[in-house]
Amino acid sequence: MSYDAYLEGEPVIITAALTGGIHGKEANPNLPETPEEIGRAAGAAADAGAAVVHLHARADNGERSFSTDRFEAIDEAVRRHADDVVIQHSTGGTGVPAEQRAQPLRTDPPPEMASLDMGPLNRYEYLTSENTRGLVDALQAEMRDRGIKPELEVFNDGHLNEVHGLLDRRDLAAPVYATLIFGGGTLTPPRPRNLLNAVDNLPDGALFNTLGFGRHQLPLTTMGILLGGHVRVGLEDNVYYRRGELADSNAQLVERTARIAEELGRPVATPSQARKILGL
Amino acid sequence: MGCPYLDYRSEADGTEFDAERAYCEAAGRFVQPMRADICTDRHDIDHAEHCEIYREHEGPE
Repeated sequence: MSYDAYLEGEPVIITAALTGGIHGKEANPNLPETPEEIGRAAGAAADAGAAVVHLHARADNGERSFSTDRFEAIDEAVRRHADDVVIQHSTGGTGVPAEQRAQPLRTDPPPEMASLDMGPLNRYEYLTSENTRGLVDALQAEMRDRGIKPELEVFNDGHLNEVHGLLDRRDLAAPVYATLIFGGGTLTPPRPRNLLNAVDNLPDGALFNTLGFGRHQLPLTTMGILLGGHVRVGLEDNVYYRRGELADSNAQLVERTARIAEELGRPVATPSQARKILGL
Repeated sequence: MGCPYLDYRSEADGTEFDAERAYCEAAGRFVQPMRADICTDRHDIDHAEHCEIYREHEGPE
């Protein structure tokens, strides 16, 4: 992917990260947590232009869940409200045993995509999500066996090395799809030149998706569109619409991104187009 | 066993929720759902080891 993709007006895939697993309604009361809330949010996001929904599971009190049954309940609700959207499950989980990290891959039917964290990252003061190479390989193997496309989550530049290492160790179906993530802490510092650098260091032929946390969501995803990439927005990554103003919904963030993409000359990909682009 | 400062509340300081949520009595606020896994010693996590709020509140041993 390159600036040429922008010049040629190739469709941009918008992924809506609807709920996440870190903050919840205490950060923004509009963040969906129950299966029905997530399903309705998926429907509205799809109507606004999202082709992919990135899903975590939660208990009714907002706390993290990794159970296959809970993911199936969420998927069923998503399908009732957005029957064609591409479903992507998270396999992230700080402090959670490997066996539970694989549970979101075991739904019936399996998700079309799932996230694959490319290495360690710190949480709070005393926790690290380790994401060892052994765990990455085991999750990738299960994804391969179940026909699930991995979305490689690159939290910092060291994880770009891990992407190349993963490709050396394992067979991944083309095109490789990597999400470049920018924020504080262990993440790549959210600066425009760092997005350029990350794109330059991707494997040949890889597609990329841009994710900026908080106030970096809007500028860096816009830049990602200009660089010919795809983008992820949503309340998992950013609970504000603008400074001091909480977002009303995931759909509000998707609508803005779709509007910007169209203004910049890149049409918003439909789920069908997204499946073709991603090789699903 | 879980953190002694953990409480489940549906209302505090003018904020209300439909379901009771994890509230940290040491910090005096509702906590993030991921942090609630620390409060409850869920998975491989232990509040005495992994929660900076608990450690700070308990003070140096």
